Amino acid sequence: MGLTLAEKLLARHAGLPITRAGDLVVAHVSFAMVHDARAPNAIRMVEKMGAKSLPFANKTAWVLDHFSPPPTLEAAQGHTAMRKFADEHGSVLYDIGDGICHQVMPEGGHLTCGDLIVGTDTHSVTYGAFNAFGTGIEGTDVSAVMATGKVWLRVPESVRVTLKGRLQPGVWAKDVTLHMLGKFGAEGLNYRAIEYVGSAVQAMEIDDRMTLCNHAAELGAKAALLEADEKTFAWLKAHGAKTPAPLSADADAHYADHFEIDASQLAPQVARKHSVDDIVSAHEVVGQKINFALIGTCTNGRLDDIRQAAAVLKGKRVAKGVRMIITPASRQIYLAAAREGLIEALTEAGASVEAAGCGTCVGITNHLIPGDREVVISSANRNFQGRLGNHDADIWLGSAATVAASALTGYITDPRTVAGGQWEASHA
Amino acid sequence: MLDHTLQGRVYRLGDDVNTDLNCSGKYLPGKDEAFIAAQAFDAVSPGFASRFVAGSVIVAGTHFGINSSREQAVHILRRMGVAAIVAPSFGRQFFRNAINNGLPVIECDVAGIEEGDTLRIDMAGQKLEVSNRNMVRPLGAVPEAILAILAEGGLIPFLKKYPDWKITA
Repeated sequence: MGLTLAEKLLARHAGLPITRAGDLVVAHVSFAMVHDARAPNAIRMVEKMGAKSLPFANKTAWVLDHFSPPPTLEAAQGHTAMRKFADEHGSVLYDIGDGICHQVMPEGGHLTCGDLIVGTDTHSVTYGAFNAFGTGIEGTDVSAVMATGKVWLRVPESVRVTLKGRLQPGVWAKDVTLHMLGKFGAEGLNYRAIEYVGSAVQAMEIDDRMTLCNHAAELGAKAALLEADEKTFAWLKAHGAKTPAPLSADADAHYADHFEIDASQLAPQVARKHSVDDIVSAHEVVGQKINFALIGTCTNGRLDDIRQAAAVLKGKRVAKGVRMIITPASRQIYLAAAREGLIEALTEAGASVEAAGCGTCVGITNHLIPGDREVVISSANRNFQGRLGNHDADIWLGSAATVAASALTGYITDPRTVAGGQWEASHA
Repeated sequence: MLDHTLQGRVYRLGDDVNTDLNCSGKYLPGKDEAFIAAQAFDAVSPGFASRFVAGSVIVAGTHFGINSSREQAVHILRRMGVAAIVAPSFGRQFFRNAINNGLPVIECDVAGIEEGDTLRIDMAGQKLEVSNRNMVRPLGAVPEAILAILAEGGLIPFLKKYPDWKITA
């Protein structure tokens, strides 16, 4: 019996000929990431461990993204400690405004196909878009990684999801995941590695592939893995990554489950207030007013998301009474959006574009608080009640296309019904 | 041979308990762990922390510790004196954090286990007994390395003893 992609990746890094789902392995980490919401804990664990040296700390990126810029003295002090740590241990530092960890990791050339990447964040599954096993860990793990270069992992059971056909214009990877959340429920694939295959995955650009893997965190996935292709190699080369060493699953691998989704039939999806798995098609939502529109986060703050928003809003105005904030996922994306005139078009349309970071996602920076009974439509990955700082506000989720279309009309809107809402990345 | 058994009174919690919301400072910036421990799980079980007696076991529903799961949640659970958590399933990040901090987490069917019951858990022997009900449930095998990390009280003390990750005992 052959091996799944997850089993092969973990066998490689554990130095074993094979591993099977359920095995416990101690594996060599290719590169690690620590962000500012977890760094103070990681530094405490390093102190607790009392290791004489941290020989692998130079294979970590320390990213100041969650509190960017810092809203409290405590956060600012945490940033100071991170800068000091990175300086002392030769870690790569990404300072405020440089971008979200899951964007700067691949953009910075820190990972390639076949790697094992761990990060102090659930959405570390994003790296699977590049055929790397990416998964979330915490401070204790990362202190052990810096001291020993290794992490313990249970080899996950895998599920294979075939996305056949092709996403239609106006429909994005975000809609695939929202559809799956509706089908399986939040954490419905808890602890599984998801292998996405099929013609619709091949047709996706890298930005959308990153969304697909990133958002698998809400399904509870331990990893979300894609096979590498020419698009992957070209992107990695352009970003200075090491030579790819891709792996693929064996034809006779064992999967815990196999699902098939006809991407061609999928419509834009939205998650209704408070639950990531209360899913309906956007066109089924009638007369739902919105007050606040957000585009950004590690799920949908990439260049194609901003291009899509501009395709809808260029030369127009957001609806009366709607506020819109756009947060590019990284400085590189911000710069590219500026050079393409997207920032200008969106600013003219009434949106505010803020410095790169996690700001749009969660209320920890306290600058996106909705008023009582206000409705937010966001391209983020989570919409728990109170996530933006007000329990009496509702947060809905959709793709950047759906958010832009909704900002334009003032109501939850299927992007396919507005001009520019069927913009396609491959035509860029 | 290390002792992998433990015993304690049951305190019940329901499904989908998010430890970031109920047992961490994520939404309580500036509050210390003692403060958070004193009101932990209040929103899902009012007065839980004041009822809970150190050395007892939390028996919860599915997906205990879902989502991002701050490691701090486990530090607070240990501060409260939680001896173990039994649930049909855990959020994967919570599960890691618990083992890395020496808190036994046991995947097991919890139907029929009520608040006030007494549990005897034998991880190496792979069984869970509800002593007052004469009920015995089988447990899955726990890899030796996990038992060793738990026995040492977590990953950091484990690595102090076994810096190359090799269990020699």
